[in-house]
Amino acid sequence: MRYNLGSFPNARNLGERNLTAKNGSATATRAKASDEPDQLPRDLLTREEYLELFRQLYLARYFDVRLIKEKKKGRLTGTLYSSHNQEAVLVGSLFGLRPNDWISPIHRDMPAFFMKDLRSGWDNPDRMGMTIEEVCAQVWCKAGSPGRARDNWSHIGKKAKHIIHSTSMLAGTIPVAAGVAYADKLDGGDTVVVTYNGEGSTAQGVFHEAINFAAVHKLAVVTIIENNQWAYGTPTHLGYPLEDYARRADGYGIPGFIADGQDVFDVYDKVMQAVAWGRSGKGPSIVECKTFRAYGHGDHDDDRAAKYRPPHEVEEGRARDPIAIAKKVLLEKGYISESESTLYQAEGKSAGQTTDEDFPPEVVAYLKRGVDYALKSPAPAAEEGERWVFRV
Amino acid sequence: MKKNFLTAIKEALHEEMEHNGDMICIGEDIGLLGGAFGVTEGLQERYGTGRVIDAPISEAAIVGSAVGMSLNGKTVMAEMQFIDFISCGFDQIVNNLATYHYRTAGDVDMGVVIRGPAGGYGGGALYHSQMNEAWFANSPGIKIVCPSTPSDAKGLMKYALRDRNPVLFYEVKQLYRDNAIAEELPEGDYVIEFGQASIRREGSDLTFVTYGQNVYHCLKAADLLAEEGVKAEVIDIRTLVPLDEETILKSIAKTNRLVVVNEAPMTCGFAGEIVARIADKGFEYLDAPPLRVTRLDTPVPWAKTLELHVLPSVEKIVAAGKRVVRF
Ligand SMILES: Cc1ncc(C[n+]2csc(CCOP(=O)(O)OP(=O)(O)O)c2C)c(N)n1
Ligand SMILES: [Mg+2]
Repeated sequence: MRYNLGSFPNARNLGERNLTAKNGSATATRAKASDEPDQLPRDLLTREEYLELFRQLYLARYFDVRLIKEKKKGRLTGTLYSSHNQEAVLVGSLFGLRPNDWISPIHRDMPAFFMKDLRSGWDNPDRMGMTIEEVCAQVWCKAGSPGRARDNWSHIGKKAKHIIHSTSMLAGTIPVAAGVAYADKLDGGDTVVVTYNGEGSTAQGVFHEAINFAAVHKLAVVTIIENNQWAYGTPTHLGYPLEDYARRADGYGIPGFIADGQDVFDVYDKVMQAVAWGRSGKGPSIVECKTFRAYGHGDHDDDRAAKYRPPHEVEEGRARDPIAIAKKVLLEKGYISESESTLYQAEGKSAGQTTDEDFPPEVVAYLKRGVDYALKSPAPAAEEGERWVFRV
Repeated sequence: MKKNFLTAIKEALHEEMEHNGDMICIGEDIGLLGGAFGVTEGLQERYGTGRVIDAPISEAAIVGSAVGMSLNGKTVMAEMQFIDFISCGFDQIVNNLATYHYRTAGDVDMGVVIRGPAGGYGGGALYHSQMNEAWFANSPGIKIVCPSTPSDAKGLMKYALRDRNPVLFYEVKQLYRDNAIAEELPEGDYVIEFGQASIRREGSDLTFVTYGQNVYHCLKAADLLAEEGVKAEVIDIRTLVPLDEETILKSIAKTNRLVVVNEAPMTCGFAGEIVARIADKGFEYLDAPPLRVTRLDTPVPWAKTLELHVLPSVEKIVAAGKRVVRF
């Protein structure tokens, strides 16, 4: 139980106070090393927090690996959009949020639903995130899901936990996020809304219409662009003519950060700067996280993806495993020892190559709880199909 | 050799691309990948990236640019990855594409076919199950097609790609690879003109009017009714706009009873439109109130129990058949 750090105290204002005014102009914020503040948000993290970030990477990976295996065995219905190799984007962006901040995850962000506000304690019932039980019930298409299995997979949310519900229509949650932020601003609040969006989906008109609205009203909306190099079977150069999707920000005069999406600490740094920007009333921003989709678009696409993506590209894209990168940082900082670093070796392995031994036991146990609950949860009763069209 | 529904559409696209050098295909992931379902497989390899476009993810840009291409002399097949996502291109379709001919007093015609996988019963949930044809049937200027057999799909698709009018083509994805309906496709340049319903089963006691995958539910219901001595006729309208009223009226003149079946929600759905037209033009033939069996007025939910509860089923169709016969 090496990385088991128990419950975390309620989130403190990690790193946000550290933002200097240097990021005041849109052009200065495109993260070049020279533009970065003297002290990075990560510099304010304790050893325990470093270790917790690390452990959360394992949790996100294990969740994905487990679902891939369950899906292969035919135990799940619907499509699994794997977040394998993209975990640092989720973990790094969620870690520093305050419990009351809002998020809007989409298809590839399934772990985000239960990883929101994990810092308030994995088992804390008042935590501002979904429980692992709720998320597993959803994946298993059971009535125990917050959406009672009415819509599939990531199309869930929870108002009380400040998680916005998405539809399938890509980028469709961004105007909703802007509306949430507007209402909060009107009420004098200082919560931030973090939205997730694939790079391909930035081509949707509503993406731009929403960010424009947010920019006009200086709303605290942080849009994370998960640039995993592929939008289904379409490579990035056919989706956007520029290399950096962060430049989408330029047209709205808002900051556009670029993070190494494989490096959880870099994601943390950039998102915290963007969050601080929003929280201080300066408006929306974009954080492009450069990453790589490990598998097919969805599990149905694995075989075809192996044909339309050049093998060397896939090999390179998967070579920088976020768990390995974080592990190296922890070693360098002396936060874990050489021998501790070899305890769990999930990195660099495909889902099928991993076993439970490759993950911290508390991570395995956490998910088991969710799965056990899901298996026991009943299917929704047929009559529910006609309920809730209107409020009665 | 027997061919499935998907292959039939694929063949139609290949043949029309070959035959019409001014034809362009545009959609998300249709080139390199060959389409989410593989309908456009091989097109980009054969006709190049100029004529087969992997578009950025924007249905509005896909449809709107198809309008421009058509304005400038091209014929365009625009794929919606799922027909549900057509809502993101709605304005370009109903206000731009559909009205172009009208507002230019006939000067401009639109050679645009929008096609995509549609329909429920597959566990696709709210946004991968829709039959949203009523939105467009209520927008004058768009022809609407929904075939149920491979050969109809091929013949109608080829006609669509030659008709200089906007066409919206609903492909029932549950039928794509359904081997039970695979069949030999007619030889040669096989084209089916719009506005011709197909009588899929003859009967004298009542008429089921339907389209898409509900055709098979109605055929099954007709089998079950036959066991009780009730002879149901099954008409597959194939095209909603234009609608072959004559074939339906002829049938009603014989059976005097009508049940319309489709999987869209009931209120303001196309089933209601058919009932209204028959009530108008065939009132004297009717011996029972015409009935509709449709989806409940709800979205299509995910869990199987819920989905089957809201969609038309063979049992619901049989029950409606009995009701009109016993009236
Ligand atoms: C409006 C709309 N059009 C098309 C789709 C079908 N679709 C689902 S995911 C996807 C690709 C998304 O790519 P990207 O935004 O890069 O996200 P990724 O899957 O790579 O994480 C497409 C085309 C959709 N869901 N919504
Ligand atoms: Mg992508």
